[in-house]
Amino acid sequence: MTAFERDGSEVEALLTDLYLESVLTRAGADRGPADARLDPALRAVSDRLRRDLVRVHPSFRFEERLAARLAEAAAGLRVSAAAGGEGSVIPFARIETPASLAPDDFDPLSFGAGDTDLDDRPERSRPLLIGGALTSAAISLAGAAYVAWRRTRPTRSRSAMARAARAVRDARIAATHGGWPE
Amino acid sequence: MVRAVFGRVKPEGEAGPARVTHLDRDAALVAAARHDRTHFDALYRKYLAQVYSYAYYELGDHHEAEDATERTFLAALANLERFEERARPSDGDGASTFRVWLFRIARNVVANERRGRRRHPQAPLDAAALVSDPLDIERGAALRDDVAAAWRAVGRLPADRRRAIVLRFVEEMSTAEIAGVLGRSEGAVRVLIHRALRTVARDLDRGGSRR
Repeated sequence: MTAFERDGSEVEALLTDLYLESVLTRAGADRGPADARLDPALRAVSDRLRRDLVRVHPSFRFEERLAARLAEAAAGLRVSAAAGGEGSVIPFARIETPASLAPDDFDPLSFGAGDTDLDDRPERSRPLLIGGALTSAAISLAGAAYVAWRRTRPTRSRSAMARAARAVRDARIAATHGGWPE
Repeated sequence: MVRAVFGRVKPEGEAGPARVTHLDRDAALVAAARHDRTHFDALYRKYLAQVYSYAYYELGDHHEAEDATERTFLAALANLERFEERARPSDGDGASTFRVWLFRIARNVVANERRGRRRHPQAPLDAAALVSDPLDIERGAALRDDVAAAWRAVGRLPADRRRAIVLRFVEEMSTAEIAGVLGRSEGAVRVLIHRALRTVARDLDRGGSRR
């Protein structure tokens, strides 16, 4: 297609668009005469499609059923927003391994208050949805406090590394004090 | 036939063709729905027939059109916060309005429905019956045949041309709105519609669209 033909096609497309604008927004005699440059075949098919391509309305039953479903969904969204469901995600501070500490000074049992398992450290930095967690535990404040206590209390680690370190520590204490570890 | 015209207003004191001014038409409704989602009902009632009609013309089946309509409105409700009115006067009439945004959702939903099946929609006999005259059986039958033929001709168009024709004639959208829905320039949409009309005209001339 040459540039001249392309320009001609675009001009014709523009004329068609103007005609459609008048066809779709005005009725009958209000339309006025169509541009003589517009192909009569295009005028005819435009008029026909305007008449034949009608808007179809769904059934009343469907309309009301979907309205009820949307109302239900909207109410759900409102409740979740009120309960903090739209709260932001807050990442917990990541606890880095103290690389500056010499291996001998590093006590895997005492590192990081509440650091229950060194092997689980990467998971500790996962973000938590505060709003959602509080929502689920909101039966009582005691529930939230219990969850917080469980997450922060120091417990004995079950990892192999921690068990080995604990065994060495116990052996040292036993050798030093000649008795059982505290 | 009296056709409902949505969103078209004639500017005062201007003699030219009516202009589409959607920019502030839905702003209050959208703001109300954002503030309280239960107010989404007003937007739903306003655009239900349009979305359903679009889905029906694309899918050719009432049940599938209902499914697509339901998914469209549920998605719109859930994602209402994402809608941004970015229209500026220089963008032209109807650019980036709620209706355009809604129809973009509908277009995606319908495209997914169509991908899920292999066959093309057949003649919408139910729709044809809607426009027939129940008091004049002979004329009604002829009209029904005309409607079915026109639909078949439109249904045979390539997807983009068919969508453009449906949005232009059934939904009575402006070129700018269609450009927004289809993600094309206004010039491209004008050419798309022009070529589609040429194809449909040829098709209808060829012996009543191969009834």
